[in-house]
Formats: sequence, C-alpha cells, structure tokens
Amino acid sequence: MAVVATILVLYLTTGVASGLRGGANIVITPFSWAVNTIARPIGHMLAGTVNYSDVVAQNEKLRYQLGRAQERANEGWSYFRQLQQITTELEVPFVGSLSTVAAQVTTLSPTNFSATVGISKGRNSGILVGMPVVANGGLVGRVIATTTNGATVRLITDTASSVGVTLKTGRATLIVSGRGLNNGLGATAVPLGTSIGPGTKLSTDGLNGALYPAGLPVASVKTVSLTPGAATYNLTLQPAANLRDLSYLDVVIWEPAA
Amino acid sequence: MRRVLVPVTLVTLFIVAIQLSVFSGLRFAGVVVMIVWLWPLAMGLAGLTVLSLWCALVAGVFFDTHASTPFGLTAVVALLLAYGASRLGREGVGDLDSAAWWVTPLLAAAAGFVAPALFVGASFFTFNFSLWRDSLFAAMVVNAIAFFVLARPMARLARWVGNLGGSRR
Repeated sequence: MAVVATILVLYLTTGVASGLRGGANIVITPFSWAVNTIARPIGHMLAGTVNYSDVVAQNEKLRYQLGRAQERANEGWSYFRQLQQITTELEVPFVGSLSTVAAQVTTLSPTNFSATVGISKGRNSGILVGMPVVANGGLVGRVIATTTNGATVRLITDTASSVGVTLKTGRATLIVSGRGLNNGLGATAVPLGTSIGPGTKLSTDGLNGALYPAGLPVASVKTVSLTPGAATYNLTLQPAANLRDLSYLDVVIWEPAA
Repeated sequence: MRRVLVPVTLVTLFIVAIQLSVFSGLRFAGVVVMIVWLWPLAMGLAGLTVLSLWCALVAGVFFDTHASTPFGLTAVVALLLAYGASRLGREGVGDLDSAAWWVTPLLAAAAGFVAPALFVGASFFTFNFSLWRDSLFAAMVVNAIAFFVLARPMARLARWVGNLGGSRR
C-alpha cells in the first residue's frame, strides 16, 4: 500500500496534478464562497471591534508614508530617466523599464510547509509561470502556477526558494535561500573576504539565466556570524518587502531566459 | 452506505472550505491548524472505517489542489491517520459515550503531534527534502493542542453525519 501511495504521489507531482488542481478548484469554489459569505462578516466585525484604534492609527501612518513616497517619486523621476537611458544603452534588463500587472492577494498559504499566496490575476492578464512579483518595497517571489483568473506566487521565504543576489557595491554575488514563512531568509558559505555587515542591502543580480531581472531589492543583512568549523559567514536576512502584510502586489512582465 | 456517502462528502467539502477560508488565515504562532486531518481522524474514532478513509481521500485531495506542496501528501497523511483511528474506533477506544472524556482529545492530540512529522517524512518519498526546515516542531505542538480542543465537537459531528445513513460501521 505504501509503495502504491508513493508511486501515486510521484505520478501526481509530475504534471497530471496541474489538470487535477484546476478541476478540483472548480468543485471547491462554491463551498469556499459559502464559508466566506458567513465567516468574513463575522471576522471583520470581531476584528473591527477589537482593533479599531489600531486601524485609525495605521491609516494616519499610511497617509504620512504616502505623502513622503509621492515626494520621493517626484524627486526620483529625473534619476529614473537617466537610469533608464543608461540601462537601455547597456542592454541590461532593469525592473524600472519593465511593465507590471497589479493584483490583489486573495489567499494566504493554506499549509504550514509552503510560503505562497494566491493572487487575483492570471493568464487572462498576461501572467505566466516564472514571472517575478514585487510589493511593499522589494521582491516578493515568483509565479509558480496560473489559472485563467488567478495565480500562485511562491514567496522568497519558502524553503524551496533561492535568489541570486549582489551586494549594493556590485562586487560579490550570493545565493539567498528561504527558511520558511516564519524564519525569513538566509545565506550560507559567504566568503570571509566579502565586505558585508548588518544593514547591507542585497538586490537581484540578473546574471545570465537568472530567475529575476537585475536590480530588485531582496533583503538587508540582519546578522553576520561565522560558520562553525568553516572559514565562511552565515547571514540572517530581513526581506526588503514586508511579506507579512501583503494586500496588493505587482507581477513584473518578465520571463527568465530559456 | 451509499445514502450516507453524499452528506459525508458534502460535509467534507465544507470542512475543506473552512480550512482554506478560516483556519489557513488564522495562524497560531505562525502555524496553520489542519482540520482536514482532524475530520477523518474523528470519523475513524467514531468507528466509521470506510467513511473515514473516504473523508481522508476527499479532504486531502481537495486541500492539496490549493497547496503548493507535492500533490497527494496531505491525502496520504490523512489516510494514515484515518486508518489508525478507525482501528482504535472499532475497538471502542475513544468512543464519546463509553470512554473517559479525555480519551478522544488525547488521541487526537497525539495524532495532531505526529501528523506534521508524517507529512515531512512522506515528503522525502517525493524527493522534497526542504519541508522539515519550516517550523516543524511548532506545527506539531500547535496542532496537538488544537486537536485536543476540537476533538470532541468534531467527533460529535462525525458521529452525527455518519448516522445520517441509518447504519454505523
């Protein structure tokens, strides 16, 4: 029985699963809709009762931040134009010159063992598997599955996720790996000669065959520690994007090179 | 048996919907409580072997369609829990009326503790060796506590749904 189960799991993880997923999604949707219709208003009422003052404070803070962001956007416009010109001349893909599709986060990861979110746009909006996703000031993850009107995004904190990054100075490249939804990001085996410290910012390297275009902010260094028994550093990283509070995000219309 | 299959399937689909819409967003210490595993377990403890296996399959497969973990893993764990629980249920262990009040919650807590580890163990068969890194112990503890609390109401629901067809076992 164990052998049959194993073969079944292997079989279903190799492609047939995507068709099954689509079919089963259609079956479960009316049930989810019914539960949401009942549960959401109750949840909102309870949350509103308990957290009203927090919501007001958060709203004020957001207005302030929006004002500052608009100010910076106005200031940054001329720099952006210059950068766009240079990257075009050098034929380097840079996210600032790529178009994006805004989407709403509809579901959070349903399980303990994957860090994913579901979004409200899919193939009909031009979203394809492999496209990078950004929000809240940095890289969020990449699209791993699509339906006609939805997609699943694997967050960079997922244990199956790894991102090639470069330091702000552009001198060294590292691989940043996810450590799970609750544990953030990390990098291991960083050479001792690397000039790195808490606060150092990391962005995607965009090297040949990379999964992400260059220049997307990924994380900043939180702690640097020596690897026990090896002449390398271990890094604990803080994602640049706030992954705990995702409501809307942008899918970058960019596909990795084949 | 056939008569009860329809309500059992419908309730199972509602359980999956509640899992996806409510419990997956309601994280305790960052952990999702897996009622899609508790439901077939409760069915099994009620002594409903075939129905508990059916619930496990339906709940697991439909849940797996929404998760990015290897397809079928949740179902495999649910089937294992349902089978184990139904063996106990057939012996009357965990029966809501005859056993002490704490027996059903304790069995459920043990299952809740073991289930995430089973999931990670089963993932090795799909050549996925990274799942253990993400808060496994926290998932085991939180699920054990949640299963302990929810076991009796879930077992009552299981018994009620199982008796809709007019016959037990």
